[in-house]
Amino acid sequence: MAGPGGVGSPALGLDGLSVFFMLVVTIAAVPALLFARDAPRETPHRRLLNALTVAFVLALLLVLAARDAVTFLAGWELMTLIPASAILVVRREAPVRRAVFVYLAITHLGGVGVWVALLVLANEWAIGGAAPTGGVQALVAVAALIGFGTKAGLMPLHAWLPRAHPVAPAQLSALMSGVMVKVALYGLIRVLFWWDGPGPRWVGLVLLALGLLSALGGILYALVQRELKRLLAFSTIEHVGIVALALGASLVLAAGDAGPGMWSALAFAAALLHVAGHAVAKALLFLGAGAFARGTGGGLELDRLGGLLARMPWSGWAFLSGCAGIAGIAPFGVFVSEWLTLQALLHVAYEPVAGVACAGALAAAGLAATAALAVFCFVKVAGLVLLGTPRSDAAAAAEEQPHSTRAALALLAGLTLVGGLAAGVLVPLLAELAPGGGAAVPDGVGLALPSTGGLPVLGIVVALVAVSAVVRLAVRGPRAAQRPAWACGQRVEPALAWTSAGFAKPLRLMLETGFRPRREVRTDIRHGVVQQVTHTAEVPHLFDAWLYAPVHRAAVRGATIARRLQSGSVRAYLGYLLGVLVLLLGLARSGWLG
Amino acid sequence: MSATAVGIGALQLAGAALAPLFAGSVNRLKGRLQGRRGPSPLQPYRDLRRLWRKSGVAPAGVSPLYALAPPLVAASTLLALLLVPLAGEAAGWGVGHDALLLLGLLALGRFAVALAAWDTGSGFALMGASRELTIAVFTEAVLLLALLLVMLGAGPSSDLVAMAAAGSAPSAWGEPAHWCAALAFTLVALAEAGRLPVDNPDTHLELTMIHEGPLLEYAGRELACLQWAAATRLWLLALLGAELVAPSAGPFAARLALLVAALVALAVALAVTESVLAKMRLLRVPVFLAGAGALALIGLGSVLTGGGG
Repeated sequence: MAGPGGVGSPALGLDGLSVFFMLVVTIAAVPALLFARDAPRETPHRRLLNALTVAFVLALLLVLAARDAVTFLAGWELMTLIPASAILVVRREAPVRRAVFVYLAITHLGGVGVWVALLVLANEWAIGGAAPTGGVQALVAVAALIGFGTKAGLMPLHAWLPRAHPVAPAQLSALMSGVMVKVALYGLIRVLFWWDGPGPRWVGLVLLALGLLSALGGILYALVQRELKRLLAFSTIEHVGIVALALGASLVLAAGDAGPGMWSALAFAAALLHVAGHAVAKALLFLGAGAFARGTGGGLELDRLGGLLARMPWSGWAFLSGCAGIAGIAPFGVFVSEWLTLQALLHVAYEPVAGVACAGALAAAGLAATAALAVFCFVKVAGLVLLGTPRSDAAAAAEEQPHSTRAALALLAGLTLVGGLAAGVLVPLLAELAPGGGAAVPDGVGLALPSTGGLPVLGIVVALVAVSAVVRLAVRGPRAAQRPAWACGQRVEPALAWTSAGFAKPLRLMLETGFRPRREVRTDIRHGVVQQVTHTAEVPHLFDAWLYAPVHRAAVRGATIARRLQSGSVRAYLGYLLGVLVLLLGLARSGWLG
Repeated sequence: MSATAVGIGALQLAGAALAPLFAGSVNRLKGRLQGRRGPSPLQPYRDLRRLWRKSGVAPAGVSPLYALAPPLVAASTLLALLLVPLAGEAAGWGVGHDALLLLGLLALGRFAVALAAWDTGSGFALMGASRELTIAVFTEAVLLLALLLVMLGAGPSSDLVAMAAAGSAPSAWGEPAHWCAALAFTLVALAEAGRLPVDNPDTHLELTMIHEGPLLEYAGRELACLQWAAATRLWLLALLGAELVAPSAGPFAARLALLVAALVALAVALAVTESVLAKMRLLRVPVFLAGAGALALIGLGSVLTGGGG
């Protein structure tokens, strides 16, 4: 390395943080590639897609190893462009092309932030050197929040994510949702915690606010989705929000009077643990969704599936463990990281500054609501996809997938199940990765942290399994013959089956002012007799309607005005040139250009 | 693991056996207050015995999840009970004593029951499950805020033993935050335990069921198991409330006696409120819980401005 991260001197490097993220990428990439092996023969451009998928993984690893601005930005752009081209290789329909366009447009517009942050840092020789201070530090922090936040899918910069992730083939969705957004979070961590120094307290508070908005907004919109992959994409936004909450708590606690202590390191560890837990569970769910799409030979509308646990047992049980894992059910890995994040927020709520403490308390309450919403959402998903009777002929005829898909899913399901047990060992290690080092976090499997009652995952798992087994043996009495479920004496018919919208309806009604659902009931009356009643309802995405649409309109209007400059007349262009020349000369004369 | 810790654990298990008696006593008192004789306090045990002798029923086409839910609910509830300290002492049977873990274990039970509801595909079961999960969104947030007030008083600590020590100190009642925490916890515990005015535990009308709904398809021993778990959940919340906010001092025996007194007082209060309150519309429940949340926030404000200490 010529100098500390100068422009033009390619530099690679590894440290604990990079290695951790590389492990996360690999853990998700191996099953995704195993899954890709089983792609049906008739898939268009199968080999090209696989090659691009591998290139995508390599681009992700390049970003993680980059130690200078140019290499980082090169890896960053590849990481954005390769999945876009991979999607376009497989699918050519107009809506898909539009989704890819929106993805590229938003991530590139937001990506300006990444360029600004990295180039300013390189200009200050801060990559690998001393962090900037004052106004430069603030500028880099804001640029990084916008740039990396867009790519990570932090609300309100998330609009591309629920569009792009669902249209990709399953293995690409798994990588995009499971690890690409994590690499963006890596960039955020690298800049905010290292290259830009531990950020000031206001950066932590902004992260808390964005995290809370993303967590609650992501899961609320996930709950009202009807298509499985779109729902999973919104759930990714939720989890990115939870990671942002933990990172924000870490920054706020480190900026407190006591300086970086054990709890700021633990909050950092919670963020990393959540990154790993979510990567595994989300890769599992997207690959499971891909297996269901192949098994049922069609789309993934939730109301079209059902009963797949019995028909596709390997994929079904793996998917179920993914649902339990991602919903933060105790004692899986995501539960441990959410528990740790809540503990960190409790310490933020104990900060002496009233405003900071209030933010900590509200974020903690919001995270608790998010956890409950996640349980709601993934009970709905598991129920609609796996349980009950099949809701379509395609679901009834579903077939289990070949061996390498099963192996991929089983591997991820196993990781989900042992993730909680490994957490006790991982947390002290991850806390040491925090800037300033983990201040003596007691290790051991028990997570017996001071000022908590401890989270002995092993003890809880053993107790749960043992008590459940004993109770199961005790209640296993005689069973009468199977009967249809109770429906007030009516026959249970498919028309009586619950739908995705029906299950979430109580919550939608209670939060109607927030959701603003659109519904339309059309009654067709002829000769005084009702012939037909059609009911359509949808929950529009308010960020699109209220935030992106006005910006889009303003941009188009601005472009229309700017187009008037392009008259096509050579004389006008010569006039522009002359004007610019005079302006520059004037500026040079007055000393503004130095 | 010390001898006292083992003893406390044994006492907690004995408490789990007494949980139906607590629910039965509330029903008896309610009957008296309403001018009836009321069922015997032992009636829940008789119901359990009757159910234990009956055979189970499974709806057609259910998966193994249906049979897995009752043991999981029983195990998670029992484990959650073991986390609660008794008279300020933790059981410490290798499961810790953390308040946030307790919330997680209650969520595990909810998850299992709701999945079983989807498994049966029964409309009434799903109606109940959907409502229960909806209400849980609000209760979890408000319950966390109420507990947060006690946690901040304890140092901050989510250790239930430290929280009980801080909350049961008689001096705690001098602080407005403690009053707010006690009130908010009481309101939200009513919703969490499925009592009036949020849910009517005695209802037999499928359309109004919330917590009872998902149990509709179960019969025999599995139903007995679930009913016991529901009674234990009420017992757990009453015990938690008594531990965290009721004043207590002195040696262990004295604190145990004070705890029993607090539980009796809670049973009487529950019977009175259930006699005077009607069940509210489902869509009004968030307003009710928002009231509890507002109380907790007022308490938080008083902590932040340093009120009372």
